[in-house]
Amino acid sequence: MMHSISRRQALAFGMAGAASLALAACAAPGGGLVNSRPVIPAVPGEKITLTYWAWLKDLQKVADVWNAQNPLVQVEAVWIPGGNAGGYQKMYSAIAAGGGPDIGQVELRQLPEFLLANGVVDLSRYGADQYQDRYDAGLWQQVSFNGSVYAIPQDSGPMAFYYQRELFEQIGATPPTTWDEWALLAAEVRQTGRQNYLDVFPVGDASVFTAYATQAGAAWFRPDGDRWIVDMLDPATLEVAAFFDRAIDADIVNTGYAAYSPPWYAAAAAEQVYGVTGASWGDALVQSISGGEGKWGVAPMQTWGDTGFGSTYLGGSTSAVLANSKHPKEALDFITWMTTSPEGIDAMIANSGIGWSPASDYIGAARAEPSAWFSGQNYNEEVFAPAAADQSLDWTWAPLTQFALNTLQDEFRLKVTSGQSLVDSLVKAQEDIIQAFVNKGLRVEGVRR
Amino acid sequence: MSTTTMRTGAGTRPARRTSTLKRSQTIAPWVMLAPFLAVFALTFLIPIVYAVGQSLTTVRRQGLFGEDGVETVFAGFGNYVLAFTNDSFLASIGRMLLFGIVQVPVMIIMATVLALMLESASAKWPQFFRAAYFVPYGVPGVIATILWGFLYIPGLSPIIDIGRLVGLELDFLGPTTVLWSIANIVTWTYTGYNMLIIIAQLKSIPGDIYEAARIDGAGAWRIARSIQLPLIRPALVLASVFSIIGTLQLFAEPQVLAASSPSIDSEYTPNLSAYTAAFAYNDYGVAAAQAVIIALAAFILSFAFLGLVNRKPQEERMALRQRKAALRAFRAGTTTTSTTTGTTTRQGSDS
Repeated sequence: MMHSISRRQALAFGMAGAASLALAACAAPGGGLVNSRPVIPAVPGEKITLTYWAWLKDLQKVADVWNAQNPLVQVEAVWIPGGNAGGYQKMYSAIAAGGGPDIGQVELRQLPEFLLANGVVDLSRYGADQYQDRYDAGLWQQVSFNGSVYAIPQDSGPMAFYYQRELFEQIGATPPTTWDEWALLAAEVRQTGRQNYLDVFPVGDASVFTAYATQAGAAWFRPDGDRWIVDMLDPATLEVAAFFDRAIDADIVNTGYAAYSPPWYAAAAAEQVYGVTGASWGDALVQSISGGEGKWGVAPMQTWGDTGFGSTYLGGSTSAVLANSKHPKEALDFITWMTTSPEGIDAMIANSGIGWSPASDYIGAARAEPSAWFSGQNYNEEVFAPAAADQSLDWTWAPLTQFALNTLQDEFRLKVTSGQSLVDSLVKAQEDIIQAFVNKGLRVEGVRR
Repeated sequence: MSTTTMRTGAGTRPARRTSTLKRSQTIAPWVMLAPFLAVFALTFLIPIVYAVGQSLTTVRRQGLFGEDGVETVFAGFGNYVLAFTNDSFLASIGRMLLFGIVQVPVMIIMATVLALMLESASAKWPQFFRAAYFVPYGVPGVIATILWGFLYIPGLSPIIDIGRLVGLELDFLGPTTVLWSIANIVTWTYTGYNMLIIIAQLKSIPGDIYEAARIDGAGAWRIARSIQLPLIRPALVLASVFSIIGTLQLFAEPQVLAASSPSIDSEYTPNLSAYTAAFAYNDYGVAAAQAVIIALAAFILSFAFLGLVNRKPQEERMALRQRKAALRAFRAGTTTTSTTTGTTTRQGSDS
């Protein structure tokens, strides 16, 4: 009797094991190639419902504007957690399970990861190329790979410099026009109080450093045939790294906390933060500094002198048509309406507080008005509109963006903990990132300099 | 043997009936167990086997994004090699060992002291304090971290302000201090919980043992040392094992505190590392390998600890070894030796 039980047990265990191994084999991400399937034609004269997963506030109200005009193509917005806080995980799982929404919000930098996961539809097959001239050229570049468009830019974040007017007046300073001026001013601000800093340098968030390097003219990733070229040690990047090495060594920039973090808000309210280099979407965050109304101004971003560009993008997202959508054509129509028509853009600003408009010719009615909080400064037209036009067109994100940024910021943290220079961090990070490409099963080559 | 007994017992019944009874008795336990086994397999066995299976696979791609072909292939122990050659992952395990070596003893000692004090005769309002110490356990880790975060963040923290008044520059979120700030949150959360486990064991000590001790003239200190501590040993072992496993699984506290402390990276703890591999890098193979490694580490540490505390005293081990040797000699030995050693063995098993 004992013998038969143990045999049966063994059998049950074995079956469970075999079943789950089979499960493991088919559920691994990256099955089926979505863009080798035939194009799905539009269905005229039939009511369909598109779902859109995004972490934008009140997106349904934007969709309702469209729904009122398009009774046959209804859009339903579903809120998901923001990006890596759970939204991507949810989308990846849904795609791997053969489902998911028609449209998903995907950050510009995350888009190549979705390509790698076979998660997005090639929109050039549905006629997206005809809309190219409606969009900002730099953003269009960031959604184009292999000669195709894989998502439609939804918002972006051109950078500028926010500063406390009164504090600047007290020390007789004007906003810096170059990073060298920024460094001189930063040293001056340090003289005003032990806790006072001009700006922060977040060692824990490499996307900011990446934005600064892009401004200086860096292009870390580029496709070459069927392999990737990784080039993080170019002169522009090394110059930016050496600049911040000097700034951190001289203690003229704050590495203790990142912008818009709880300690930053506390320090900003206590007038220990004189300014912050931030993206256009930072205006809403700056406006939540307690007691800050009327004290802040916006100036163009400081530049790297003769090289590089006037501004750079920090953040920004796209609307991508996800792999299992049954109606890619209709989804594309909705997305282009949302991101280029004045009523779509205005609704996005009013309801969702969306970032900078990707449309090349319309920034949104609300943004053409002076801001009462910023003492009546019309900063969107004055500062951000020119900033959005003065961008690098060479930047491309790669399928390992998340890994690259995490590796970089894990190395950058060593600047604070053990004094490893940012320049050395870049050298180590490039090695790790190249290895990660190889581990992902991709062909890659690093540029040695 | 049991079958024989059963058959004798049912001797008067017809033979056919006996055989059906026997078969139904064979099947019945399995029918009864089926719901449990199904859920157990679904939520426990299959996920484990699935994770182990996934830890042995990797993805190969053709083209810039795998647009020219993607396949999942068997990788052997490749993912384990990647996990073990990842310095950050190894550092995170080392960090958790350091954390555990300091935090677990501190917490268990605090829990024991609290439990003994609340169970002593002179305790005032023990029910109230028992509940009060237990309350932090009811606060989810994320909320606890946010609460403590307000006491750690410069500019918000009254503790830092007070420190500054007396000339102390406190930094709770710095590279060397943040680990102990996390340890403080964990200790705050779980001391009351462990205290409750110990109190439950203390309550099971029969009153007459105390009475006998008091008649013999033992004071409160002597009772704690010679009666309570030895008798709550199982509870202490249990609480320690739970804490060791919990330490390796640290996740929410550093994840939440990372927003305020630049020193916490994406692979600060083993679980954070696995989370990052799976959900930020979409590398489920390596993440599964890391998860298996974390589980094995928890297993090894728990059993090493159990082995350490359950070691029998020196004399007992010697006696056991002698007894075993005697038994061997008895089995292989001659008739003369068998009588003497046989007695020893029986005595041994009686005691």
